Amino acid sequence: MKRLVLTVLSLMLATQVLAASKELYVYNWSEYMPDSVLADFTKETGVKVIMSTYDSNEALYAKIRMVEAKGYDLIVPSTDFVARMHKEGLLMPLDKGKLTNLSNLDPKLMNQAFDPDNTYSVPYMWGSTAIAVNTKDPAAAAITSYADLWKPELKGKLLLPNDMRGVLGMGLKRLGYSLNETDPVKVAEACELLLPLMESVRVFDSDSPKQALLNNEVQAAVLWNGEAYIASGENPDIRYVYPAEGFSLWVDNLCIPKNAANVDNAHLFIDYLLRPEVAAFICQEMGYSSPNLAAQALLPEDVRDNAIVYPAPEDMALGEFETDLGPAVKAYEECWMRLKTR
Amino acid sequence: MKNDGFFKLAVIVGVISWMAIFAFVPNILVFLASFSSTSTQNFIEPGFSLSNYARLMDTTHLSILLSSLRLSGLVTVICLVTAYPFAAILARTRKPLRNTLLLLVVIPFWTNSLVRTYAMTAMINSSGIVNNVLLSLGIIDTPLAMMYTPGAVVLGLVYTLLPFMILPLYAALERLDRRYLEAARDLGASPWRAFWKVVVPLTMPGIVSGCMLVFLPGIGMFYVSDVLGGAKAMLLGNFIRDQFLTTRDWPLGAAASVTLTVLMGVMLLLYWKSAARLGGKEA
Repeated sequence: MKRLVLTVLSLMLATQVLAASKELYVYNWSEYMPDSVLADFTKETGVKVIMSTYDSNEALYAKIRMVEAKGYDLIVPSTDFVARMHKEGLLMPLDKGKLTNLSNLDPKLMNQAFDPDNTYSVPYMWGSTAIAVNTKDPAAAAITSYADLWKPELKGKLLLPNDMRGVLGMGLKRLGYSLNETDPVKVAEACELLLPLMESVRVFDSDSPKQALLNNEVQAAVLWNGEAYIASGENPDIRYVYPAEGFSLWVDNLCIPKNAANVDNAHLFIDYLLRPEVAAFICQEMGYSSPNLAAQALLPEDVRDNAIVYPAPEDMALGEFETDLGPAVKAYEECWMRLKTR
Repeated sequence: MKNDGFFKLAVIVGVISWMAIFAFVPNILVFLASFSSTSTQNFIEPGFSLSNYARLMDTTHLSILLSSLRLSGLVTVICLVTAYPFAAILARTRKPLRNTLLLLVVIPFWTNSLVRTYAMTAMINSSGIVNNVLLSLGIIDTPLAMMYTPGAVVLGLVYTLLPFMILPLYAALERLDRRYLEAARDLGASPWRAFWKVVVPLTMPGIVSGCMLVFLPGIGMFYVSDVLGGAKAMLLGNFIRDQFLTTRDWPLGAAASVTLTVLMGVMLLLYWKSAARLGGKEA
């Protein structure tokens, strides 16, 4: 009897150990990686990928802090949160020796202030937050700037991201300030400006805002370019507008949490994602811009020249990258609570 | 006999340690957190202050609490009114059919409630099933805007929580001794009077537990408000979630959660007090 118990126990342990070396826990933005990429990776390497998703950097950060950087092997924070998480010792340095495809990446997006030398992060995709409009609706078709969103004709037809930086950035840009404004007076000014806009909002959604647009629930939506790319593919009346006041650009980065269990598999997967053909496929499927230069060469022309995926230089000049706000984030959070609980 | 005692002990120890680990300790932690403060280094700085409760008393927070209680109250009333007749019919149905009906009540639990909430969007969005049927029947010309409204949140909550009302009511109505009703009729009570004076008091435990099982989750099910209400209609659950995940003000979130628990406790206590008093009078 005893021997049987022991055998069963050791078998369970053995499968645990085996399972541990053949698994990878990815915590990623929702709708950010095609399922087939995971399946192909598993087919090639035998490593099973378990993916869960989040809809904001804040949620990712709170979760990683809560589990003390354990339990997940790969996360995809935006630049500002890479800086914050690395400052707080939540990230593990990457072993560049295992990332043979690193040279494919655009040097312009590497070695930035938020992570010098890319010690902790490599860019996964980048993109913009701007306005998608349904041109069938005359009020929406006339939108060229953030200021246009305040027009009474758009009341109840508007979708905003369920994202603090995304919404406050609109107010700051309309006032001509930086997206990364740290002066609490200016943030409060933006907040006052945004309060009446909340009346026009039909829905806040950062998970799958294209749905509300495609279902005709809203006529204008502030969203990420990948969502606009997919929506415009399904409904040609949907256009993506870079607002005249300027808009937000962001880069999401692959990072390994400090106490990850499957570090080798995480490196293996990062390197897989950096392959030109894989990166090009993800870019085409998701509609976000790839930092992978070798992948860009593989893209079909209609994707490479698509202004939603790769903005024209004159539009690009209006974009501003989000950075870590430091303690100034407090003023943003207070405003966000005010806007949401109005 | 000896084995019996061992089994009993094992079950009791199992239940008590389960409750201690997964209910008591977490609640104590939430309770302690509600008196602490927060800092950039730690989500929770130990200490004692009532400032989190004081902050809850400001007008925005109070208005969230009130609107959430109102919404959940409405959901509870709708559930009670629809579930009561259903449970009464269920209790009187013959065995094989009754089991089938009970199974139908329970079947939705086999699917995750978040998935069912998403399924609801396919029913009520602008190009959804309800609108398509109404449009093709010529009842409406333009699609009804049902998604992202408070009504959609109420609908979603009623849909999700209705079984929690039906089951305790069914249990109470099934146990109801029919002879009381016969006695009421013999003594000349009208059916209406017999219902209010005999059936309702006797099934009161079922009504109360059903209402509790609907009211409290109705305040907390933040994903229903996110998916169907467009993340605008703030339930207290949304507020608590945002405190923990977005602004990371855990002490404030904990204080809101403790307030809710205390509120429910007080309501239960009032019910027991009044039930005991009524019972005492009759005896």
